[in-house]
Amino acid sequence: MKNRKFLILMTVVMALALVLTGCGGKKEEPKKEAPKAAEKLKVAFVYVGPVGDAGWTYAHDQGRKYLESKMPDVQTVFVESVPEGADSERVITQLVEQGAKVVFTTSFGYMDPTINVAKKYPGVTFMHCSGFKTAPNVGTYFGRMYQARYLSGIAAGKQTKSNTIGYVAAFPIPEVVRGINAFTLGVRSVNPQAKVKVIWTNTWYDPAKEKQAAMSLLDAGADVIAQHQDTPGPMQAAQEKGKFGIGYNTDMSKMAPKAVLTSPVWNWGPYYVKVVEGVKNKTWKNEQYWGSMKENVIDLAPFGPMVTDDTKKLIADSKKKIVDGTWDVFWGPVKDQTGAVKIAAGQKMSDADMLGFNWFVEGVDGTIPK
Amino acid sequence: MAMAVKLEKRLNPSAAMNVIVPLVSVLAAFVVGAIFLTLTDRDPLEVYTAMFKGALGSQYGLAETVVKAIPLMLCALGISAAFRMQLWNIGAEGQFYMGAFAASYLPLTYPQLPIWLMLPGMALLGCFGGGLWGLAPAMLRARWKVNEIITTLMFNYVAILWVDFLVYGPWKDPKGFNFPLTAKFPASAALPTFGDSRIHVGLIIAVVLAAVFWVVFEKSRWGFEIKVIGASEQAARYAGMNIRRNIYWVMLLSGAVCGLAGMAEVSGIVGRLQPNLSPGYGYTAIIVAWLSKLHPAAILLVSILFGALQVGGFFVQTMGVPASVAAMLQGAVLFFVVGGEFLTQYRFVSSRKEVA
Amino acid sequence: MMKQPLVQMRGIVKKFPGVVANDHVDLDLFAGEIHALLGENGSGKSTIMSILAGLYKPDAGEILVDGAPADFGSPRDAIDAGIGMVHQHFKLVEPFTVAQNIQLSERDGAFLLSDAAIRQEIKAFETRFGLAVDPDAPVWQLSVGEKQRVEIVRMLYRGSRVLILDEPTAVLTPQETAELFVNMKKMAAAGCAVVFITHKMNEVQEVADRVTVLRGGKVSGTMLCRDVHAQELVWLMVGREIVLNAERCASGQCGGEILSMKNVSALNDSGRPGLSDLALSLRAGQIFGIAGVAGNGQKELAEVLTGLRRTETGSIQFLGENVTGMSPSELIARGISYVPEDRLGMGLVPSLDAVENMLLKSYTHPEYSHGWLINRKAAEAKTAAVVQQYNVKLAGLSQPVRSMSGGNLQKLLLAREISEHPKLIIVVYPARGLDVGATESIHKLLMELRDQGAAILLVSEDLDELMKLSDRVGVMFGGQIVGNFPIEEVDLEEVGLLMMGLFRPKEERIHGDGR
Repeated sequence: MKNRKFLILMTVVMALALVLTGCGGKKEEPKKEAPKAAEKLKVAFVYVGPVGDAGWTYAHDQGRKYLESKMPDVQTVFVESVPEGADSERVITQLVEQGAKVVFTTSFGYMDPTINVAKKYPGVTFMHCSGFKTAPNVGTYFGRMYQARYLSGIAAGKQTKSNTIGYVAAFPIPEVVRGINAFTLGVRSVNPQAKVKVIWTNTWYDPAKEKQAAMSLLDAGADVIAQHQDTPGPMQAAQEKGKFGIGYNTDMSKMAPKAVLTSPVWNWGPYYVKVVEGVKNKTWKNEQYWGSMKENVIDLAPFGPMVTDDTKKLIADSKKKIVDGTWDVFWGPVKDQTGAVKIAAGQKMSDADMLGFNWFVEGVDGTIPK
Repeated sequence: MAMAVKLEKRLNPSAAMNVIVPLVSVLAAFVVGAIFLTLTDRDPLEVYTAMFKGALGSQYGLAETVVKAIPLMLCALGISAAFRMQLWNIGAEGQFYMGAFAASYLPLTYPQLPIWLMLPGMALLGCFGGGLWGLAPAMLRARWKVNEIITTLMFNYVAILWVDFLVYGPWKDPKGFNFPLTAKFPASAALPTFGDSRIHVGLIIAVVLAAVFWVVFEKSRWGFEIKVIGASEQAARYAGMNIRRNIYWVMLLSGAVCGLAGMAEVSGIVGRLQPNLSPGYGYTAIIVAWLSKLHPAAILLVSILFGALQVGGFFVQTMGVPASVAAMLQGAVLFFVVGGEFLTQYRFVSSRKEVA
Repeated sequence: MMKQPLVQMRGIVKKFPGVVANDHVDLDLFAGEIHALLGENGSGKSTIMSILAGLYKPDAGEILVDGAPADFGSPRDAIDAGIGMVHQHFKLVEPFTVAQNIQLSERDGAFLLSDAAIRQEIKAFETRFGLAVDPDAPVWQLSVGEKQRVEIVRMLYRGSRVLILDEPTAVLTPQETAELFVNMKKMAAAGCAVVFITHKMNEVQEVADRVTVLRGGKVSGTMLCRDVHAQELVWLMVGREIVLNAERCASGQCGGEILSMKNVSALNDSGRPGLSDLALSLRAGQIFGIAGVAGNGQKELAEVLTGLRRTETGSIQFLGENVTGMSPSELIARGISYVPEDRLGMGLVPSLDAVENMLLKSYTHPEYSHGWLINRKAAEAKTAAVVQQYNVKLAGLSQPVRSMSGGNLQKLLLAREISEHPKLIIVVYPARGLDVGATESIHKLLMELRDQGAAILLVSEDLDELMKLSDRVGVMFGGQIVGNFPIEEVDLEEVGLLMMGLFRPKEERIHGDGR
């Protein structure tokens, strides 16, 4: 009996261990055996998820492919599904030891490890995505996704009938809060009655859980679902229920063509080319890059057939203002959930405030865990 | 004449088998892995060479393998204490987090403490946090016979969410742009490391602890009690041993050591409390403890093997081997070692049977 | 008996890891006979019957039923061939009624039979064989003897012509045994072959027509019972002469009172009263035998005395000290020793070696310690000495004891307890499952201990054993001691009736204390 109990136990444990070591990554990258052209510049990428996640990591990997296609004298290498704890520092180190001259670390949790490794290899250029620490050879980069979020909010606000929009939120960090706020402002710019209901999943990559969260929002009356995770689970939920959704990261209409209105997407390729060229030409600086719509780092994916021309025009107008720089999302007046004015008319929210966003705008139905 | 093959339990697995079988198993795993790699157009030899080189072949790789093995060693030692008494403590992960949390309290609240107070204090708090987290399921088990597999497992989630709560809330670094991190610990809260590697004093702690465990569990009167209780609770009661008290002590010890692992990780490696502190150390350590048959020295070695597998697994990705293939290789090694374990206990015999 | 045998087993060989359980066993069973299968423990009698019942597959040899070869892949095949076995541990569903249990073993895939049909058949078995069972009684309410009857009816209901009874009398009272024997004879008369596994010689002579004796997995003889003497059977069984009725050793001088229990009550495992108002007194140098059908409070009595079970009411005085409610370790320290029914699991730990088992209760003693460490050398020396003194056969001091035979386990266990020089020792079913030789040495040890002045509480279900060893015999029924006799006054019939709860002695004998 004891043995049987133990066997069951072991099975459970192994299943857990396998899940935790992360078994993702369906896509394989056929490596062209590079003809040993000695001059090739080696550029490395560290990913938090599997390249096949159809989300965050996939978008970065598209950028990597773009880089390789645009710069034949560049050789890229990547490591996927790298945990944010003790492992990342080693992976980064080993990539540098293998000759990488530029390293992109594409998750917030890689911030300290990136800084640590950079200290030991002053001759190598490091670019950390979404963080706030820099060093002489470390720059950070990110995109003003909130701009695209705002535009997608217009589509959602126009589409909703129930005036309830669900938002499947990842983690209560400023990046996500900022996205929710921008989206809500977009929704209410065309539909002041609409509310955005927020559910936190505390996941980046858990298709089942994220789908489930969307289902509960749909059950609560939402008829458009927005999301911040790296899987298309919420979009599939919307499609199954015959409702609509706003994807994220990449064009998610492939996964749920009947539901997806549009998706705010990342477009890293051109920026990666710019950085690598900068390193090659020795013009690279350790800036904190926060790319905007104007620079095309972020964009909206093509609209679904259900989006009306009227809506498209509204979005195009707003986009033009943003790109021109004549207006931006967090320009006053902006009220918080209590109705108090947080950003007065004529005021612009500073980048620093945006990077530390920790309150919801009016119209958001949810709380930020403190 | 018909041949039949049947399984027979071995009476006395030989000592040599105990060494040879695991080695052959690992080898077999690599053979199977090689078939897969060949099928996906990769040169297995090249991949294995890289794996070996990345994990063990360079000073850096070796050091990193050890770094990776330290939390496994400590957690597996902690788990082994409970397993000896047939207390299935699946809660190492949670105890690890609680240890990390409790240890973080000191540098975050009293960052000015001198190192000689800070580090022992953190270690003590780490043991305390993990120990209490082990003690709670022990109480439920001892008082109301609540199955500890379930409770320790559930406590894991609570611990992880508790740490999440802290770093997203009250312990968030005020200067951290609202990111879920605590402030960086002061230098006095970092475990000393060897040379410029990341190997920290945790290694010495693990080795000393393994030796202490061996003496305590194999040679001491208390160890004898644990052994008897583990083998037969009825006999232990009959012999006048206090089972309830031992459940408390063993789970306290088990949790404390896992908590110490958490302390060593925040202090020696990460330097702050953050989410995703452990990529499942507490779970992997269960497998380590089991494969080591709870022997402390074996735990140290098997932890290194697992550390190497993980380090090597990431390293081969740089050759274009996807993470999933690396994970599959790790899985194959596990599968074969567990299977080999079975073969040391049983053997196949063929029997001829007259058929009328 | 020149007709064709119902069952022929030819050259059956069965090997288990490390042992040959059956070595070319031949056995014929004829319709209408009661065939006793006699042998020491481990002689292979259970194995050969398990093969016949389809539980094991033989490694070699063949089975013929009605002269035709049969290959039993499962018990089902054996049952279909008309062979049924009643095991020592009944395979009944306790919450179900008798009729439901019998119905469970439906024949020919007929899933639901009408209640009436089943009742009718059950009734038929009662009239034919005297197997009386109440079809509507839930099984858990039945006595052991009744459960056994249900099992037999079940096998007959399934059409068994060969009925194998594995040590059926081990759990029965004398009256129940006599009843069983009557039933067996009726079944044989009706044309069944009844196989009767036992190691009690008197039963063989009482009921069996033929007897096959097994020794070491081989048949050492098959003969007609009326031609054979008990002494001869013993010789065939053990391969050596054994004095059957060892003389009762010079009865020990009874000393002062060691144990006194007054009004002791305790609950059993299911929370119902297990002991109620029990009174008992034991003197130094006395063996007090407890007779009774299992489940009448014997286990609770032993556990209350050893601190393993809580005493609800009453008091226990040991050597003049009130020890009520003390923990097992406190009682061990005071010299109360216990040889439990469950040797391997409670008394000994199967996965530990002999030395560790020897240390089980004495690991804290200074002589086996270096401070908080265990002095294994001292323990080894002690174990080696004890093993030699008590002639325990071991594979090695450092081998797990699980592979030892029942007799050697019991010797090791008893030796450990005796070597601590207990003042009171509680011995439960000491000879259960042991062969004649081992039983003899266990009895010797107990008598020696008695002669050294220890008080011994001997719980047994074997009246012969009790009669042989005890100075007084008490009968337990319903959590009480309902009869208490000095050995000279024991009347077996009266004891049997008391065990059944049917009889109260006319004269008040309970106070007849000591000699």
